[in-house]
Amino acid sequence: MFRYFTRLLNYFILKAKNDNIRDFKHYSNIEKIPSSIKSVRDKLEEIFSDSVDFVLREIALGENSEVKILIAFIDGLTNKQTVNTNILRALMIESRISKLNREVNRETIIDILKENLLSIGDLEIIDDFKQTVEKILSGDTVIYIDGKNVAFKADTKGWETRGVEEPETEAVVRGPREGFTETLRTNTALLRRKIRNPKLKFEMIKLGEQTNTDVCICYIKGIANPDIIETVKRRLKRIKIDAILESGYIEEFIEDEPFSLFPTVGNSEKPDVVAAKLLEGRIAILCDGTPFALTVPYLLIETIQASEDYYSRPYFASLARFARMLAFFASVILPSFYVALISFHADVIPFKLLLSVSASREGLPTSAFTESLLMVLSFELLREAGVRMPRPIGQAVSIVGALVLGEAAVKAGLVSNLMIMVTALTAISSFVVPPMGGTIPILRVVFLIAANILGFMGLFLSIFVVLIHLCSLRSFGVPYTSPIAPLDGMGLKDSIVRFPIWSMITRPKDITSNKNKKVEHRMKISHIKKED
Amino acid sequence: MIRNERISPVQLSFIMIGFIFGSSAIITPAVSAYQDAWLAYIIGWIGGYILIGIYAYISILNPSKTFIEILKDVFGKYIGSIIGIFYIWYFLHLAGLVFRNLGEFMIVSIYTETPLIFIIISIALVLAYSLKKGLEVIARVGQIIVPMMLILVISIFLLVMGHYEVKNLLPFLEHGFLKVLKVSFSVLTFPFGETVVFLMIFPYLNDKKDLFKTSYISLTVIGMILLSVVMSNLMILGADMLNRQIFPSHITISLIPGIAVEPFIAINLIIAASMKITMCLYASLIGIAQLFGLDDYKPFINPVVAIAVVISIWVYDSLSDMVRWAGEIYPYYVIPFQIIIPLLVLIILKIKRRDGSSAL
Repeated sequence: MFRYFTRLLNYFILKAKNDNIRDFKHYSNIEKIPSSIKSVRDKLEEIFSDSVDFVLREIALGENSEVKILIAFIDGLTNKQTVNTNILRALMIESRISKLNREVNRETIIDILKENLLSIGDLEIIDDFKQTVEKILSGDTVIYIDGKNVAFKADTKGWETRGVEEPETEAVVRGPREGFTETLRTNTALLRRKIRNPKLKFEMIKLGEQTNTDVCICYIKGIANPDIIETVKRRLKRIKIDAILESGYIEEFIEDEPFSLFPTVGNSEKPDVVAAKLLEGRIAILCDGTPFALTVPYLLIETIQASEDYYSRPYFASLARFARMLAFFASVILPSFYVALISFHADVIPFKLLLSVSASREGLPTSAFTESLLMVLSFELLREAGVRMPRPIGQAVSIVGALVLGEAAVKAGLVSNLMIMVTALTAISSFVVPPMGGTIPILRVVFLIAANILGFMGLFLSIFVVLIHLCSLRSFGVPYTSPIAPLDGMGLKDSIVRFPIWSMITRPKDITSNKNKKVEHRMKISHIKKED
Repeated sequence: MIRNERISPVQLSFIMIGFIFGSSAIITPAVSAYQDAWLAYIIGWIGGYILIGIYAYISILNPSKTFIEILKDVFGKYIGSIIGIFYIWYFLHLAGLVFRNLGEFMIVSIYTETPLIFIIISIALVLAYSLKKGLEVIARVGQIIVPMMLILVISIFLLVMGHYEVKNLLPFLEHGFLKVLKVSFSVLTFPFGETVVFLMIFPYLNDKKDLFKTSYISLTVIGMILLSVVMSNLMILGADMLNRQIFPSHITISLIPGIAVEPFIAINLIIAASMKITMCLYASLIGIAQLFGLDDYKPFINPVVAIAVVISIWVYDSLSDMVRWAGEIYPYYVIPFQIIIPLLVLIILKIKRRDGSSAL
């Protein structure tokens, strides 16, 4: 049954791919810009009819106003000052002051515009009409010239954006506080500022039939594996969808295993994290309109890594990672462990503890399983409420949650004290490993049911199934459980224990292809000795 | 070769460790040598080096062929295929036996009210899933959980150290050396001789040069761990008690003061026995596919697992039947599979090679 669905899905993916190729051929036909300014004007007015933010401006140049030019842009997407001073003022006033106006005629207009009048950095000559429309839509100003089949595109992008702020999802105590914004260009700049190297490549691709969203593939040439780059490009190109509003849309299309519970595509809001991943040979996918960049390949070990591990001392970083791993296990297993203990293996509990456990469970109407399920589900309710509530109401929710679901439930004889503790520990632990936020609650319930059927054995068998699934997962061809299985001795230096940075002399073996040196290991050591 | 799967030497050695630890974690035939169990065990262990040496040598002579293909080469298409069918039966039977061991242990020690078939089927479903994912995934899983199992075993060994009584080892050779030798033969066939299954797995190793080293290292590691299990059971329970218990390890564990860690031994057993059953089933699946010249073994997974489950239920009437059969008949039942045929194959291969080389 399941396989049938997968096949169906594959069919649709392939179909979409083929359709896309057909579209691409059709798209490559160039539509020439009409030479008469009037027909350009008519065309544009037809395309942008009923759009109040579209601005058209006609100017005549030359001694007898013999050359007419048409300026088109969208108000709100363009930087007003640039348009006014560098284009309009230059054409209308400065050309006359500098007497250039006299030299303008149909032959010299292009050269004069390019060399003398338009003082804009990113200036381009385009001869495809469709492309000019696209440029107008992305915030550029396009200048059409009467009698010519070409147009100038001047980069005047500038709109209201959020500044570079500290991201709320990945807070750090030590480390850079800047985060990506919703503007793609800002994000690439933030990355370029971290890695000042011409080998850092940004490749653009437009996705979304309706939205025409810019999506950018970033990698460092010579470090990233060319095969993986090809795979990323291939998978991105076969996406056919109406709208890309967030990088999550892309994520679902390029995953290796669309039905897995575990994330095989990573995301981050912080330029330093993405830069570090790029330097490890990974590939980032930036998407316009969202601060979340995707990174691939994404391995299991990355869920317990945080940027701060590398900025603080190795001992503490290792401890933190160990805590994260522990928290992951605790938040998944604790409730089911409790159920297995109470309903199957009471003999395993030490005698004194057993006394207090049975005392706290005395008179409870529910079985341990029902009790756990109740608490686990009510915690999910609280969490969801906490995230979606407007902030002023949040306090009320937390009071209700703490008092009603905590103390009152015990006093009313619905749940035991121990269960409250288990729930609290589970809840706290589940926030320690944010990348697994979508996986943990589901696994928790599954394990709970398994533990209720066969006690420890059921719990263990379900862990076994998850383990088999994890070992079979791949992210862009890289085994998900690398570097632990398959074992990579050098890779283990950056796994559960974080070795000192000067000892990490290689990049992850399974991800990078060539050029394995990361840090000049020996040089660093001799440098330290010299100072002694 | 059916699929282009490759495992590394490290993964192979972890699989081997799990395989040998298999059901011998809870039952070892060495106990019938009374206080000389440790000696019988050590002799059997040394014999294990010879047997595994034979298997590894056969595989090195035919680096990319599984045992079924080697049999076809050596004995001709028809006789080779018939012997191959017997081997497939043996692997399936072995899987069934381990299933039963595991199930019986669970029934006796923890789940006294649960039907045997339910426990066996729930494990079988998980193993069928792992078989669907292929050898590489099984190897990776082994690489992650077998070390955990080893840590658990060693920590249990250390925890019970306080209860050791060396006088349980005396008197030395009370029942004569012959008895010890006889028992050591049982130890040789279970668990060490069962590694004949790996003749189907060795071809998937990505670095054939390390075959001897890998198998000997894993045999050494697991031999020492099993020795520690035998010794601690013997020194804590004494020969008399040891012989009366069906699952002595379970009793030994319950002596750890303060906390009860009996589920640990059950988890150890599930890990190791799963490794063993998976390998047996994988070997028989590969065997079936190669015998009939098929490209893929996956369609056979569900039937083969189902047959192994059924064998495990049908093969014994009761727990005592299982103990008797394993002790008295099993060592003789496996002689052709573990010793005679591999030796014969090796000799014929050597002769053929010599002829071939002289002809060249």
